[in-house]
This record gives sequence, C-alpha cells and structure tokens, in this order.
Amino acid sequence: MTDDELDPLIHVPTRLKIVATLAALPDGDTLSFTRLQDLIGLTPGNLIIHLRKLEEADYITSEKTRNGTVSVTTIALTGHGRKALSTYTQTLRGLLGGLDGDGTADHEHQRT
Amino acid sequence: MNPTPTTSADDGGGGFDPQQAAALLDQTTTQARRKLAPSPPWLLATRAVAVLAALGAIWLTVRGQHPYTGPTGADVPILIGFVVLNFAATVGVRQHAMTGVAGTTRFRPAEIAVLTASWAAVPVLMWALHAAGVSFALYPTTVLIVPGLAWAAVQGARDGWRGSVTGLAIAATGVVGAFAGPAGSWAVAGVGLCAVLLGKAAAVARQQHA
Repeated sequence: MTDDELDPLIHVPTRLKIVATLAALPDGDTLSFTRLQDLIGLTPGNLIIHLRKLEEADYITSEKTRNGTVSVTTIALTGHGRKALSTYTQTLRGLLGGLDGDGTADHEHQRT
Repeated sequence: MNPTPTTSADDGGGGFDPQQAAALLDQTTTQARRKLAPSPPWLLATRAVAVLAALGAIWLTVRGQHPYTGPTGADVPILIGFVVLNFAATVGVRQHAMTGVAGTTRFRPAEIAVLTASWAAVPVLMWALHAAGVSFALYPTTVLIVPGLAWAAVQGARDGWRGSVTGLAIAATGVVGAFAGPAGSWAVAGVGLCAVLLGKAAAVARQQHA
C-alpha cells in the first residue's frame, strides 16, 4: 500500500480538516460558513477555494439562504463525502499498520 | 458561496505524510466533536457535582425531621437558585455549541413542545396524586418521572434505545425515590441524578475520543 492510494482531494491538510470537521456532525446536518471558518481558523478566501474543490467532487454541498439583508452560506458533507473520508481513514490505517517502530513506512524500505 | 477568495490556498499533499495526516485527522475530529457537543462532559460532570451538593444539603437538613416538614425557608432559595443556574448554564452552553449548526442536532419544535409539556404536567400530576392520597405525591423524586419519560421518548425517537437510557434512568430515580420516604427521596434524587449525569459525561467523553 502506498501514499498514492490516499484520496488526493482529502489528502491536503486544509481539506482534511474541513471534511473531518463536517463529519463530526450527524448525517444531514449543516454548518454555516462562518462557524466552519471559526472552527478551522482559515481566511474566507482560503476556505472557499478548498470548499469549491470539495463541492466539485460532490464531497460537500453548499447552500446560500437570504435572511432579510443577511445571506448565510451553509455547508454539509454529502454521503459521497462521508464515504470518501471513511475510505481515506481505512487506507491511512492500512498504511500506518505497515509502519515500523521508527515510524518509517514499509514501502520506503522497499524503494531503497 | 459568498466570500471572495483573497488568498491562495495550498493544494498538494506533498510533504504531508500518512502519520501527519492521521495525527491531524485525529486532532481535528476530537476538537470538532468537543466544540460541537451540545452537552460537553465538563458541563455534565459539573452539574452532577452541583446536583449532589444542592440536594444533599437539603437532605442533611430534613433527615432529622420527625415529623417531616420539608426543606426550611433557607433551603428553598438555594434550590431555586440551583435550578435556574443549571438551566441557564445548560441552555447557554448548548446555544454556543450549536451556533451555525442546523439539522437534526437541534431540537425540533414538536420535541420542544413535548419536553415543555412534560414539565408543565409535573405540578398537575403531583397535585392529582396528592389529592388521591398517594404518599409520595410531593416527594422531590416524583418531579423526575414524567420529564424523564418524555426525555427518553424524544431521545429514543432520535437515536434508538441508546438515546433513551438517560431519560429512563432519570425516571427510574423518580420511582426508586417513592420507596425512600420523604427525607430519603432527597438523597435518592441527589445520588441518582449525580450518577446519571456522570454516566452521561463518561459516555460523551468516550464518544468524542472514539
């Protein structure tokens, strides 16, 4: 098993944090953009770039609602996104299961 | 999406090894669960200690009463203060955790109605039992039965039998108190609620670190 098997969309620190945070909510629950930003500690611009990538892959959905003059964007993890995180976690476990005591992956040894 | 991108974002996972990813995933999941928990373990544990202290203090003042006359004038403000503080802290922490969250985590209006009605039914039930000459009608534990069952029904409908455990334990405390006598029921209420809250705190803490 190699790092290449890890979903490249999730295997980026910021996107991993986004997906893991959304996965902490029950299926179907949504989180506002501002709360997600607060939880992850990103600038709005940085966050939106990653959200777009995840949305293009159907890992998340976003919905904009208008309440008077205020518009609120809510984000939710899709079933597809939840499944992708589950697969990513399993792959990660598989990779780490093949680690030596010194933290070096088996495949690293195979390469050298 | 409303905000306009203002900064560039890292895109590759280069240099992000599986160990780092696992540590980040674990840390983020634990942190998110903790921050989004409507009833965090620390609050449940604090409430457990507070309820034991408040009801235990009343039990200490009433246990020597022969005949039983109930809590003294000095005890009542403490009890009311505890109930108000407990309610305010619970609602405040829940609202803070639920900021920006929408969906099933929040109570639906029908669920709020059931829970409110269950509390409204308490004085009616106690008065009816008292009028019927039931000995435990005015015991503090009697207060717990209907709201406990209502909580079990609401949470059971959401999460199955696991969700109903807390409510059933609260109702069971109410039933046990009926056999403890008027003074003893204060001790049963204090110990029972403390145990339920500590059990819930342990369950939530375990869930957050699962």
